[in-house]
Amino acid sequence: MKISFDKISRLWLGQDDFRVRELNCGANFKAVCLDTMCDDAKVSAFVLQPLAYVENAQSLDEIERKLAAGTGVRKPPNFFAAVEDFTNGYTLIFDGEDNCISVDTRTVIGRSIAEPPTSMVMRGPREGFVEDVKVNVTLLRKRLKTPNFKIINLAVGKYTNTAIAVCYIEGIADKRVVDDAVQRIQNVKTDGVLDSSYLARYLDGNKTFLFRRIGSTEKPDIAVGKMLEGRLAIIVDGSPMVLTLPYLFVEDMQSPGDYYENSTMTTLSRFLRFVSVIASVLLPALYVCLQVYNYQIIPLRFLITVLNASEAIPFSPLTEMLLVLIVFDILREANLRMPSAVGISLSLVGAIVLGDAAVQAGLLGAPAVMIGALSGIGLFTMPDNTLILSLLRLAVTFVGGVMGLLGVIISSLAILVYLASMQDFKTPFLAPFSPDIPEDRQDALAQIPVPQMTQRPKSIPNENKSRRG
Amino acid sequence: MKNRVSIDQLALMYLLLVTGGKFLTLPSLLAGDVGHDSWLSVLFSFVWDGVCLCFLLWAIKINDKSKLDIAAILDKSLSKPVSKALMALFFVIFVLRINILLSGCYKMFSVTFDVSTNWLVYVLPIAALAFFAVSRGFNSIARASQIVFGLIVLAVIALFVSPLAEVDFGELLPIGEAGWGKILLNSYTRSFWFSDYIFMYFVLDGIKIKKHVFAPMLVSFGVGAALCILLNGVFVALFGYLAPDFDLAMSKIGVFSAASTANGRWDWLTLSVWLISVFVKVIVFIFCAYKCVEKIVGAHFVKFNWIAAGVVLLTLSLPMFVSTRTLLDTVIKWGVIPFTLVQYLLPLLMPLLTKTAQRKTEVKSE
Repeated sequence: MKISFDKISRLWLGQDDFRVRELNCGANFKAVCLDTMCDDAKVSAFVLQPLAYVENAQSLDEIERKLAAGTGVRKPPNFFAAVEDFTNGYTLIFDGEDNCISVDTRTVIGRSIAEPPTSMVMRGPREGFVEDVKVNVTLLRKRLKTPNFKIINLAVGKYTNTAIAVCYIEGIADKRVVDDAVQRIQNVKTDGVLDSSYLARYLDGNKTFLFRRIGSTEKPDIAVGKMLEGRLAIIVDGSPMVLTLPYLFVEDMQSPGDYYENSTMTTLSRFLRFVSVIASVLLPALYVCLQVYNYQIIPLRFLITVLNASEAIPFSPLTEMLLVLIVFDILREANLRMPSAVGISLSLVGAIVLGDAAVQAGLLGAPAVMIGALSGIGLFTMPDNTLILSLLRLAVTFVGGVMGLLGVIISSLAILVYLASMQDFKTPFLAPFSPDIPEDRQDALAQIPVPQMTQRPKSIPNENKSRRG
Repeated sequence: MKNRVSIDQLALMYLLLVTGGKFLTLPSLLAGDVGHDSWLSVLFSFVWDGVCLCFLLWAIKINDKSKLDIAAILDKSLSKPVSKALMALFFVIFVLRINILLSGCYKMFSVTFDVSTNWLVYVLPIAALAFFAVSRGFNSIARASQIVFGLIVLAVIALFVSPLAEVDFGELLPIGEAGWGKILLNSYTRSFWFSDYIFMYFVLDGIKIKKHVFAPMLVSFGVGAALCILLNGVFVALFGYLAPDFDLAMSKIGVFSAASTANGRWDWLTLSVWLISVFVKVIVFIFCAYKCVEKIVGAHFVKFNWIAAGVVLLTLSLPMFVSTRTLLDTVIKWGVIPFTLVQYLLPLLMPLLTKTAQRKTEVKSE
């Protein structure tokens, strides 16, 4: 479609923020911009001031030469590109023959770089991504001073036209994975992409309904670390969460601070996280089925304590445990949506008053409350999957309560088979444990000291195995 | 490819299959027939298994280039009707083995874990799990086995070590008291419990070979066989002449070490972990039975073959109509000889059949 001033002005006719300025620089030119998207100072400095004293320009090429002060001056190849520039805050300058150039006059609105609330660390960088794609790319480029750092710019969303930057390191990232990701983004047909989580759903080839298959981080150092392993970082304008792919299950066990701590401590912490997650999902189920069916397994004195504590409870052990878990989930959900000050009070009311009152009233047994609380706290060691783990915990507890250990075995195997079957971007989800890739165990649950990690992980497709060039 | 599996995964899975299910009713049945020499019967069964396994691995190696599946190999080398007949025989073996494994577990749960329910309610969740796994592909079953492998081996070792202090290995003497002929005959009549390698026929086209074929498989076979022989020996040495009366070996083996109720029956937890290997075996055999029906009917669905699943599901109701005892007696009386054909004769012929099929495929493509 041909670029035309009339078409642009028709499209934005009647909009208060649509600005047109006639410029007489020898021939007649028209500068248009969206006031709400442009920085007045930039429009003035990069467009109006340089052209104010020009009197003999006859073509756009001459105008372009006069705009040397502007860093982003270009000729949009077609009408759609011109509209995209215009809506992003560029000022378009038209000549009388419907040719145009666009000058970068975008305004920078947004919060400043700060420590992300979801990934606080004791040691290590405290910078976090923000909502602006340009700032986020800058944060990556600041750490990757190499010409091999490549960005593929795309736009998605019929109405939002959201800018997407696919970032990778040429020579490390597998080109086939890059092409596959770009292809999937280009195939997205939607009204709008408001956050990177929207895009993550389109990028998930398995269309997983349980576990997330695309990683996300708010920290540029983590994103760069992952890119150095062969992953891609996908920045979505308007979202401080940068997507990383391919993604492994074991990444959920890793924390941003792991690489800045002693590797022995990191290994211990990761094992602790792993054990707590497994215990969180299985503990309530095991408690119920041991109490109902297999009480012989419980040591006698422990069994007597449990029986004494729960003999007056009017519910069956399964109902009792499900009640505890559901109440815990309600409290967690309410806590997330409360302002922080009220949230603390709510936690206290929930944990102490509600739990204690229920035990005192004889509605719930103290062991069940303790097991529920322990399991609930354990879930938070894998904060990105808390909700899904909580649902799994309810399901396994229910099956375990109905079918005993047989149910626990069947449901655990089903979850395992499901996890094992997932593979996307040529990466098995459970790697490096299944399939077993011994070389990659250096930074899976256990971590060897960073200087000894000389090879990039084999689980992630990459073009350069050695971390040393 | 959903059914692709590496040789390492195959080896680990084979180890689970070798140990899974052999400690339910088999030790007491063998003890009933040959007394304290039952471990020798197990040993001889494994010797023959080892020979057949080597031939099958040879065939796998030959097939690495052409990646023909079992139906294609049999079709091309023996003709289609023979191939279908063999598939039917495989199907019968798998169905019987699944049912006997499941009925062993059923008994284990109702006797040991006090969970009594009817067969259908018990078997349906297991079938659901198996078909879910089948729909996700053999690859996911192999990967899941890889994850649980370490845990299961630890559980088996724990079950073996826990009663050691109480074991009197003198009970195993004199060796060969039952008579070598009887011992050998028993290892043949109980062959139904062995030859676990038969599942490999159904993943022939998906085996990914890196360097070695024989080493990982034989190591895994050796470890599995050693554990089975040892556990049989421990079981007989522990219970002596009473061994035939303790029909669920695995649940009884830890009874002395964990007899103190103050400590709880922790051996039952390890037993539950071992049961995972039985379920893995059931899933693998259901996958094979499903494949057999697919090959016989010739119907292939892109995602999931409901016809094959339906047929296999129907056969799982068998123990509702026939007792496990009758099923076992029938197998020993009528099944041993025909089953020998696919369990022991076919593996020996597989390298030859694979080469013939390859040659015919090459001629056709030329």
